Amino acid sequence: MDELEVGAKTVDEAVQQALTELGLDKTEADIEIISRGKAGIFGFGSEEARVKVRRRTLSATGDVTPDVTPDVAPEDVTPLGKEVLEQLLTLMNITATVDIRENTDQPDDKVLDVSGEDLGILIGRRGDTLSSLQYVVNLITSRKLRVNAGVTLDVEHYRERRYESLRSLAQRTADEVKSTARSISLEPMPSNERRIVHITLRDDSEVATQSVGHGEGRKVVISPGSAP
Amino acid sequence: MKELVEYIARSIVDDPEQVNVTEGYGDGVVLNLHVAPDDMGKVIGKQGRIATAIRALLKVAAIKQGVRVTLNIE
Repeated sequence: MDELEVGAKTVDEAVQQALTELGLDKTEADIEIISRGKAGIFGFGSEEARVKVRRRTLSATGDVTPDVTPDVAPEDVTPLGKEVLEQLLTLMNITATVDIRENTDQPDDKVLDVSGEDLGILIGRRGDTLSSLQYVVNLITSRKLRVNAGVTLDVEHYRERRYESLRSLAQRTADEVKSTARSISLEPMPSNERRIVHITLRDDSEVATQSVGHGEGRKVVISPGSAP
Repeated sequence: MKELVEYIARSIVDDPEQVNVTEGYGDGVVLNLHVAPDDMGKVIGKQGRIATAIRALLKVAAIKQGVRVTLNIE
């Protein structure tokens, strides 16, 4: 048995259960969060967390640690995250509006959407500044609520557009890999962007994806044939 | 800019009362962030990740004001 889908009260519990059943250590598995679940109130309206755990096939070269997955985001995280973000923007002298919208990539998930004029400055090179802003918002929000907040930020739909172009890039590259039967590595990307590539090609059994390299240089390699 | 650093630091340390930011001038504005010794890790982070993020946001504030800024953590 190389793959298992498990449901439990929390993501951590589900992962642990799956790992035990498969007899794997966390470092030997690829973990995919299908649903983070909901805590509900006194057990009412709660929803279980579901994860899929797969035995990782080790490649001879390269680093194969999984990309970072966001942590549980309970209901009250988003409004507080919005307040923190607004406070930061004010202190940065940025005039902008923050709206909460549905995450088009992950149903049931929310995005804090920043809009206004001249906000390129908030995005930065390769979205670096946006990532820093998101990181600080989550740091402060997590601290206040004593949970691991996983709030997602977007500025002027930058992420949305970037993810859309990554999906088509992944698709085009996969087609090329299939027709040439040779592996292709994409440009280095941050973890959230590599994740989009992995997810886009996850159901394509004719190609396999893997993140290799370290830090700033970590990139996705698309190769022919799926992992056994 | 000083207020930005103060807000972030006070929100993430264990001892907010010991957070103090002083302003000086060198190559542009120089901000010195002081925190309790036990809180140093909280504002620097693993591999300086938190300090890097604070500096990135500070840079945005500086660009908006048309100045240069340096952040020292001590």
